[in-house]
Amino acid sequence: MSETIGIWVAAIFTIGIYSFLYKENPLYRLSEHLVVGISTGFGIAVTFTQVLKPKLIEPIAAGEHGAWLLLIPAILGLLYITRFFPSVAWLSRYPMAFLMGAGMGIGFPLSMKASVLRQLEASLVPIYEAGMPWDVVVGNVVMVLGTLAALIYFFFSKPHKGPFFGTGSKIGIWVIMVGFGATFGFTVMGRISLLIGRIQFLLGDWLHIIK
Amino acid sequence: MKRSVPLAIVMVGGILFMIQYFIPHQHSQTLFDYYTEWAPIVGAFALVLGVGSLTRLHSHKIKRKAKNWQYSYAVLIPLFGIPFFALIMPQSLGGGMMESMGGDRLTQGVFDFAYMNIQVPIQATMFSLLAFYIASAAFRAFRAKSALATVLLFAAIVVMLGQVPIGELIGKWFPKVGLWILRYPNLGAKRAIGLGVGFGVLATQLKIIFGVERNWLGGAGE
Amino acid sequence: MSIWEKMLNLDRRWIFLLIGIACVVPFFTPLGLPILPSQEVVSIYDYMENLTTDNAIFVGFDFDPGTAAENMPMGVAVLRHAFARHIPVFITAYGPLGQGMAAMALDEITDEESDDYYVYVNWEDWASIREQGITDRAGIEEAWIAAGNTLSENAHGWVFEGRDVAFLGYLPYFHLVILGMSSSIASQYPTDIGGTPLEEMPMYQEHKSLRDIDLAVTTAGSSACVAWITYGREKIGLPVAFGVTAVMATDYYIYIQSGQIIGQMGGLRGAAEYETLLLRDGYTKSPGKAFVGMDVQSIAHLLIIFLVVLGNIAFFAGGFNKKTKLKGRR
Repeated sequence: MSETIGIWVAAIFTIGIYSFLYKENPLYRLSEHLVVGISTGFGIAVTFTQVLKPKLIEPIAAGEHGAWLLLIPAILGLLYITRFFPSVAWLSRYPMAFLMGAGMGIGFPLSMKASVLRQLEASLVPIYEAGMPWDVVVGNVVMVLGTLAALIYFFFSKPHKGPFFGTGSKIGIWVIMVGFGATFGFTVMGRISLLIGRIQFLLGDWLHIIK
Repeated sequence: MKRSVPLAIVMVGGILFMIQYFIPHQHSQTLFDYYTEWAPIVGAFALVLGVGSLTRLHSHKIKRKAKNWQYSYAVLIPLFGIPFFALIMPQSLGGGMMESMGGDRLTQGVFDFAYMNIQVPIQATMFSLLAFYIASAAFRAFRAKSALATVLLFAAIVVMLGQVPIGELIGKWFPKVGLWILRYPNLGAKRAIGLGVGFGVLATQLKIIFGVERNWLGGAGE
Repeated sequence: MSIWEKMLNLDRRWIFLLIGIACVVPFFTPLGLPILPSQEVVSIYDYMENLTTDNAIFVGFDFDPGTAAENMPMGVAVLRHAFARHIPVFITAYGPLGQGMAAMALDEITDEESDDYYVYVNWEDWASIREQGITDRAGIEEAWIAAGNTLSENAHGWVFEGRDVAFLGYLPYFHLVILGMSSSIASQYPTDIGGTPLEEMPMYQEHKSLRDIDLAVTTAGSSACVAWITYGREKIGLPVAFGVTAVMATDYYIYIQSGQIIGQMGGLRGAAEYETLLLRDGYTKSPGKAFVGMDVQSIAHLLIIFLVVLGNIAFFAGGFNKKTKLKGRR
């Protein structure tokens, strides 16, 4: 019974939101607000049950060895609340500083490896090897030159003139357009998939006219 | 105290943990473990900021009877109601898992109901609205006005046909060419963009660590 | 007003209606067109095929309900594959709403009304087997059957909580959680979401940190997936595979080519490819939701291409590219 009611409620909200396509309406406005309230409420509930309770409250309450040290992150975290009191709001910078400084320090060498070094390394591919199909060879040329040309296009410290910067940036924009075209094609696919998901819900779970 | 100490914490923390990566010593690892254990606890409290701001905004709207103020209850009731239910019925946090995670149906009901039958359909449907808008945009905005725009459109059409089974029926080469575009020219373009973003992120990280970039301090308590 | 101008000024709600029809009708006239899996997806599948009950994987439900239509079938497909091969799975979530998504995925897989379901055995339900000191997968199943448990016709098998699956859920600052798990999973998740201590779980005893994990599959609707590369792959060499939305998929080919991920499921198509492989090898009896959706996807893509072409014909035939300013509602 509760499942049926649930599916009906979900169906009403689904159709209510689609009615926005015709015209803005109260059901859409209600949905907009509910989604903010529920997702934040869910976030608080999950964070309390899965972070604060098992990792802070329970170890301290049980008097676990060294648990008192957890008071340090707890106090730091509580300083966030000072944000709502203008006279001491500057204290909220402390937990931010704690998370940000070390977080960036940890992240720096790893980001450099993941997003820069590995990517540069991967650009240095053998363009041709014995037995390589022709489409891969052409592809490798396009990929390597394309990366270089697109980098030139984004390099604004030099005017885009002359055989290197001028031609390079021109090739670069063509490659970028192909890339954007591919992204556009995939974006269409993604958006349609989301609609398919809702139609599967309406026709299947709700109306039971498809499997 | 107001600015210098937080900036110093960021700098010391940043440099310390940057070096820590290169020192495989027990003490260095202990320091790292403490940080990764404490950070989620500190971070958990940041939610307070979101809750506080939402509460202030919507209670203010209700008080002033601002336009559409009635809807503010739709934010505030679940905002406090859901954590309340989670507190009195802790085993209801399985999300969608009903009996399988060991909770009983009644207590799981409230939490599941709000999530599965309100949150999920609303969010999923809102995102799916974009399908309609992209179709409308396809008709009204995507013009082959220049050679570059034509290349973009051509690549998009080939990739779109290459990704669906019917594309292969229309032309056997669609999936192959579509994948070729994705694997080579698209990759070249995205790598250049990725490298640009990567360098940007690294530069920003260094600027924050060394106190050049201070926007994160905000205006609190100036 | 010329016919071309009228056409271009068409109320957009007619286009909305068209796309709506194009996405509904194919459900009633299924084409069942075959889907040829791409190398990007096959490599994830093959990698999973080489894992056994001695290995363990992470599946990250790193998406919100907004992109569930694309990401959920990927998560479900990988979980089915792991459960069928008895590969222990740790389930995590990058955001709080992702935890609910993971729960819904488990719900779908354990739904007795489906053709391909698994029976979820709670931690407490097989306590007596643990008390006998049996912790290996085959031994547990043997003892479970010996205790008089049987599988119904549609069921594929049992999923023992703590042996086959540990639902860890969400933690904030997840990139730091990934780092923390490189030392110890239990330091980040002392218990699963049901409160069962990780230390007591046989699957944890065999796989205590991310260094003991053989694959992390992240199903993501945001750049959250990159955290698994930056903090998992680059820190400790954790093999990572992506299941991402179509919108993001083109951006991540760079990680496939660089070898930082072993493969990628891109959008509904990627999920449908994985489902096709599961069906081919008998892991499922019927095609999944993504596969069914691909027929609709075909027709919708044709319609969109038709709209692009028609829009361009009207634009150029009406001479709007030269001088005529297009008036009216846009």
